[in-house]
Amino acid sequence: MVDFGTAEVTVEMIQASQIGMKAFSAALAVGVTGIASAVAEMAIGSAAVGAIAENRDVFGPVLVLTVIPETIVIFGLVVALLLLF
Amino acid sequence: MLRPKGMRRLLIAAPKSEIETIIHELYRHNVYHIEDFVPESESEGLSIGHPLPEASDAASALIKVRAIESACGIDPGSIEVKRKIPASKVREMIRTDLPAIQKEVEDLVNSRSKLEVQKKEHEQRARELEPFTAIPLDLEFYRGYRNFTVFAGHISRDIEIGVPHEEYFSDKVTGNMIVVVVHNEHREEVERILLNARFQALTVPEENGAPADRLQAHLNEIRRIDDEIAAINRRLAEIREQYAEILVACDELLTADVERAEAPLRFATTEVTFISEGWVPDDRADEIQKALVRATGGRIYIEELEIEDDSRVPMEYDNPPFATPMQLLVDLYGRPRYSELDPTVVMTILFPIFFGVIVGDVGYGVILLAMSLGLRRFLKGEGMRSLLKVGTYASISSIVFGILYSEFLGYSLPWETLIFSRHLNIGGHATGHGPQVVELLIFAIWIGILHVTLGRVLGIANARRLHHGKHATKAVIANAGWLGVMWGILLLIWSIFPIPLMPNLTGLPVVLMGLNASAVAGAVLLVAGLIGIAQENPLEIVELPTIFGHVISYVRLMAVGLSSVAIAMTVNYIAIGMLIEPQLDAITLVGVITIIFGILVFMLGHLLNTALGILGGGLHSLRLHYVEFFTKFYKGGGIKYNPFGMRSKFMEE
Repeated sequence: MVDFGTAEVTVEMIQASQIGMKAFSAALAVGVTGIASAVAEMAIGSAAVGAIAENRDVFGPVLVLTVIPETIVIFGLVVALLLLF
Repeated sequence: MLRPKGMRRLLIAAPKSEIETIIHELYRHNVYHIEDFVPESESEGLSIGHPLPEASDAASALIKVRAIESACGIDPGSIEVKRKIPASKVREMIRTDLPAIQKEVEDLVNSRSKLEVQKKEHEQRARELEPFTAIPLDLEFYRGYRNFTVFAGHISRDIEIGVPHEEYFSDKVTGNMIVVVVHNEHREEVERILLNARFQALTVPEENGAPADRLQAHLNEIRRIDDEIAAINRRLAEIREQYAEILVACDELLTADVERAEAPLRFATTEVTFISEGWVPDDRADEIQKALVRATGGRIYIEELEIEDDSRVPMEYDNPPFATPMQLLVDLYGRPRYSELDPTVVMTILFPIFFGVIVGDVGYGVILLAMSLGLRRFLKGEGMRSLLKVGTYASISSIVFGILYSEFLGYSLPWETLIFSRHLNIGGHATGHGPQVVELLIFAIWIGILHVTLGRVLGIANARRLHHGKHATKAVIANAGWLGVMWGILLLIWSIFPIPLMPNLTGLPVVLMGLNASAVAGAVLLVAGLIGIAQENPLEIVELPTIFGHVISYVRLMAVGLSSVAIAMTVNYIAIGMLIEPQLDAITLVGVITIIFGILVFMLGHLLNTALGILGGGLHSLRLHYVEFFTKFYKGGGIKYNPFGMRSKFMEE
């Protein structure tokens, strides 16, 4: 007789779900940090374009400021890669 | 190579009677960078000079030439020089030919704008007439009644009117058209009925005859005017063909005249003399001094002044020819100061390598190389040329790394990868062990460590040039401190974790408190580095996390590259694996269409990926230089060396 009350959990299922969780975490690590970088760069970028319109010479310093938040997503990426491989 | 051209500071003083001779001589040599005279309270008795008398004539003639150029659409930057015209001949032409050309162009432009106004009027009339063409009534029947009122306009639907009237309705035009004629006594009633049906009155055009005929007449007029405008444009194009070379030569000559005539505005003058300060490159300084003395017959005083303030010296690059294209990208960040190291050569070598590490595909490299070489024929500007040259370097590097990675448009070349595999397991029958992500990651981080170290070493070299005395020593120690902290941290990590592709120092003998030799050395370096940084400015300690940030930032070299490989392999899988291959077993009509579609997907996909490769590879390599590399040693913000004179392109003196 089949007992519908209990489900059988095999080792394979646990392993598969672990792989899934890993992939999901990696996606979160890249995705969320990507959004965070984008939000941070949004404000800096618009201000930077304004500053360059005023004075062409500030391109260098302004670029440096604009890309500072990119570090966040790079860290996310490193974490994701370490999770996956 | 790493230094700009040496400059000397000259002071020139001479009687005003020699001003024209001197200006001509300076302009001809094109080496003297004038430092504009700014009157200050302490410069008593000195005032700004007055322009030479011919200034206003030359300026107004120049405005005329520029007006003709803009009317004919001539851009001096894009004209190919076939032969140079002698200056005397250009002057002759300005006197004889130019007024006639100017008159013709002016007349043509005037009549063109008149025609354009007429065309607008006809178009307006045509628009007004259009709804009336739906009603079979001549236009004179709409007006001139004493006892009747005519309603004409758009309406939402056909309506019933309960009083005696005459009505025309048409739904052939947008918004429908209704014309109602009623006796004056019913006017208000009909008006109300019409308004309820959302009636919008139209003004009846003041014309006679059938609306369709009138509309046709206006359209014919528009066509005739279009033809006339086209004829005028053709004539302007003819003028451009015929006179472009002469006009740009006139432009150049007059620009030179205006610059020369206005030069005294940049000099300091007294009642009888004038003084000018400026900069001349080392190798030309003697030559220009001798030339000035000769031209004025010795009626000039020239002195070489000491350079007091480095930040005021104009900067001219002194790079070997292969590196000159990269000057464009260094200028984009900011021209080097006179006293600091010029990073152009370093960047010329490293930028293409970074680009190659990212793109690393023989197929894309060949496409980019073909583009860079092919576009040279079409893009003429100096900036564009430089960019294409940089593109050539970058694409050659991509091909080299493509061979190393063994990649061709996402496919493997016939050999195994020579460094690290970037091949992903995409597609139904993908085999192989997948990408060596960890190795690639550490490879990228190694590039970062070395690049940042190079930046700091250059920073040590630069600190001695940018600062003086005690501050220079402090800056040198601070830069060394940053190096110490970074390598100290690395030694500490290596002593604890074995990492592939990096030295494994975990096995060294323990010397102190459970720490092995490498860990102790690392800790010492770290602490010494911290002290080194703090002695220059303690606030800099806050910046310590950037050591991690900057080095890990180089992971993008691998990440952007992998994403480009993934796109390439996906395109291949969709186009060939899913669309083309299954059709090859049995060719059918649908199969042929699918195959064509597959080829289209293949081409478009790789085109898109090439564009992404240029953007990703170029921008990220550039950013790594600007942000991670330049911030370690480079200030920028130098003054561009801009000599007084002109390299004439279209005429010869």
